Amino acid sequence: MSKPSPEVYEDGRGMDAHNSVMREIRGLKEKHYDPHEPTRVWVDEDNTPGGVYESLTIILNTGGCRWARAGGCTMCGYVAESVEGGTVEHEALMDQIQACLDHEENNTDEPADLIKIYTSGSFLDEREVPAETRRAIADTFGDRERIVLESLPDFVDHDKLTDFTDHGLDVDVAVGLETATDRIRKDCVNKYFEFSDFEDACATAEEAGAGVKAYLLMKPPFLSEREARDDMVESIRRCADVEGCHTVSMNPCNVQQYTMVNELFREGGYRPPWLWSVADVLERTADVEAIVVSDPVGHGSDRGAHNCGECDDRVQKAIKDFDLRQDESVFGQVECDCERTWELVIEEETSYAMPLAR
Amino acid sequence: MTEYFEVLDRDGAARLGELRLSTPVRTPALLDDVLADSGSQWTADQPLPEGDDDRLTILPHRSLPAGTREEVRDAFATEATDVDFPSAAVVSSESPHELGADAYILSDAAGFVGHGEGLKNAIVRAKDALPADTAFVLSGVATPVNVATLVYAGVDGVDAKLAKVKGSQGMYLTNDGEAFLEDLDELPCACPACQQPREEFGQADCIDHNVNALRAELRRVRERIRAGRLRDYIEGQARHDNWLTAAFREFDSQYSYLETRTPVVRNNELAAATSDSLRRVEIQRFADRVTSRYTNRFDNPLVLVPCSARKPYSDSQSHGQFHDVIAYRGHTVSMTSPIGVVPQELELTYPAQHYDSVVTGRWSEDEKEFVAAVLRRYLDRNDYSRVIAHVPEHGYRDIVERVDTDSPLEFEYTVDGHPTATDSLGNLAAALDGELKYGKREREHNTVKAIADYQFGPDAGDQLFGDIEIRTTGRYPKLQVRDNDGEQLATMVPQYGMLAMTLTGADRWVDSDAPTKVVEIDGFVPHGSVLAPGVVDASESIRPGDEVVIRGPKAFGIGRAEMSGFEMVESTRGVASQVRHVRER
Repeated sequence: MSKPSPEVYEDGRGMDAHNSVMREIRGLKEKHYDPHEPTRVWVDEDNTPGGVYESLTIILNTGGCRWARAGGCTMCGYVAESVEGGTVEHEALMDQIQACLDHEENNTDEPADLIKIYTSGSFLDEREVPAETRRAIADTFGDRERIVLESLPDFVDHDKLTDFTDHGLDVDVAVGLETATDRIRKDCVNKYFEFSDFEDACATAEEAGAGVKAYLLMKPPFLSEREARDDMVESIRRCADVEGCHTVSMNPCNVQQYTMVNELFREGGYRPPWLWSVADVLERTADVEAIVVSDPVGHGSDRGAHNCGECDDRVQKAIKDFDLRQDESVFGQVECDCERTWELVIEEETSYAMPLAR
Repeated sequence: MTEYFEVLDRDGAARLGELRLSTPVRTPALLDDVLADSGSQWTADQPLPEGDDDRLTILPHRSLPAGTREEVRDAFATEATDVDFPSAAVVSSESPHELGADAYILSDAAGFVGHGEGLKNAIVRAKDALPADTAFVLSGVATPVNVATLVYAGVDGVDAKLAKVKGSQGMYLTNDGEAFLEDLDELPCACPACQQPREEFGQADCIDHNVNALRAELRRVRERIRAGRLRDYIEGQARHDNWLTAAFREFDSQYSYLETRTPVVRNNELAAATSDSLRRVEIQRFADRVTSRYTNRFDNPLVLVPCSARKPYSDSQSHGQFHDVIAYRGHTVSMTSPIGVVPQELELTYPAQHYDSVVTGRWSEDEKEFVAAVLRRYLDRNDYSRVIAHVPEHGYRDIVERVDTDSPLEFEYTVDGHPTATDSLGNLAAALDGELKYGKREREHNTVKAIADYQFGPDAGDQLFGDIEIRTTGRYPKLQVRDNDGEQLATMVPQYGMLAMTLTGADRWVDSDAPTKVVEIDGFVPHGSVLAPGVVDASESIRPGDEVVIRGPKAFGIGRAEMSGFEMVESTRGVASQVRHVRER
């Protein structure tokens, strides 16, 4: 056992430790994926500054996030879904895009106005998506209204964005900021950039005529329910204040395989947030300028945001309703006895006494 | 190192203590009202709190939840902060380290409470690493059913967080478990919250009741510690939740953790009512000492007799009848579950006259095997010309026959039906016919020597009292041991059958080859007691209740230990030892 020292935080030992542990955890996975198939694709509805659109969401399989190869974020299991070897060739990526277009044709009456492309990494990182592929994809979707591109702030630059804006597309860069609090982003999530990098990326996007959609993570490991709730309220306010950031997507952490969060969860040291917390945050920040949405993945299950089991679907429905209408009165429509339990958890849970309820 | 917590009394690993705040708190207790959290460093740098004597301030922390891997624990370990107000530090049970606080909170309790082995490992690891005199706190895990076992394991403080949350979920908690409120036809409690019709009892009442139930259970537990009878309670109460039974059994298997903390003498009853009683430290220790320290000094035949419900055995009617027949011609050894075999000299020695077992005549295989093993070891160590087994059928006879089979000795069986039946007693008389009697002097000398063996170590009886002509005065059981000048060396304490030494006795003890237990103190002359801060060093073998020599540059004394040797060394508060006699030097 090593003795604690004040240098720990400064010299990056925390990050080294997180990375080393995450590499080991990820090493446990033994799945392989076909580079010619997207990781996932689906059709949905989304609220954007331009209104509510039908959307085609694409999770491109690009070989995975560069940061995740170093270890990566404590809650992120998506790297476990990437292809072996690390890079996917242009032709294979274009095969994936074709597969998505086929999916769209089979599932919609007409092409979706909104295209969302995620890579579980950075679409704008040319090691994941070469410039040639990026431009080809811009051409493919040039006739749509709007496109969302996932990227870490480092890779946001003017020319990459104009590849898309030149087609007349409204462009949103989806940035996994996770939280506006640098300490939490670094120590709990293990993400290496700072809020100021996010602010810079927003400025760059705005200059290129694009906007930014910030993705926030509610309740990374090591935080109590109240700390997690308060961090989201503050983060949403700070994001909404940044010029160029027009939408905030605040998403509860879910427990994914091959992650540190999963290990804590299995040993009894982690519980995903309550849906009441999600609703509470949305209600408390309903006054901000930006659009604020949330899409609790796996809601109602032990591994996703959940309440008592009785009211999960109703609260989830209210959240989805809020996403589209931004009207906080929807939360006044749902009630359940477990609200008292959640209030107690907010009052009583601390990081040395959690989780208080499963 | 603590100023604000003091252990006042001990019952095994369980402790009665005091949080020395402006309004003192008697522990084990609910600490909700006195704990003040200075915040988590996971979210931000936290300023050093000001703290005050009204509260136990939890220093800024980076809590490491259950399941955190070692590298991450090491990288984010909380640093020590030196403060002069009552403080608690948060540590992980996986890598506990001292931080100079008065109390420690384990951050990963939610992971191990609920698992017997996990609880045992966590507590043993943390107690090992943290100073003995600091308070040990688990937050967010206590319920009425588990809190007695948590305290038994060594926990000093808990809170009502979980009980409240469960109440809000409609879980009605009692010390025999939990039930969904909606499944209850009646409220099995009379606390203020439950003083209303069942149909009017709601969520808020359930929260109140749960906290009341937890509070009441803690009172019960504190009373049990004062009485030295928490284990008796645990053996019954923990049965209501299997993991709790597993937990105390796990601790039984971790013998040294409990043994170092369990007193060698008590003045109160020990209820041996379950199969787990066999594994109690007191029982195991007695069996161990009888078979590894005690030596029989009589030349007479061994007479094995059944135990009696009445204690000491010699006060019972049956033993009175045996005694009349044996008439000092045999060495009487009682066979008993659960403590094994009790030579007549040790019939007063704790727990031989203190235990009370359930007598139905039905012996479990565990009991038989335990007593047989003890008897086997006893006979390996002690030589007898003859073994007369005056024991009844079933149980006793079965055990003796198991031992008889592997023994070179000829066993003679004298019971025909009941041991006190005329024929049986006649057989016993016949078996002893022609054997020589031993005198009162031999009997009394052998008794104090046997107790010395048991108390101080193998051969201690001879090392202390063998090379001089001792005399015994007084009337059994209040015997005094004197040297040939009539100077008193020791007194036999009838309440628990041990020796209390005089200063002259202590001199002999120190000079003898018998292992001594010594408390080294600073340059002062203690009166009445030695406080822990005055202790410079102490023998690791010291247990609460042990006879100890107290020695320092200014004083030489003899007394009874109040805490274990390791606690004397680690503690900065509390009474380390009582002092019976002292002289300046």
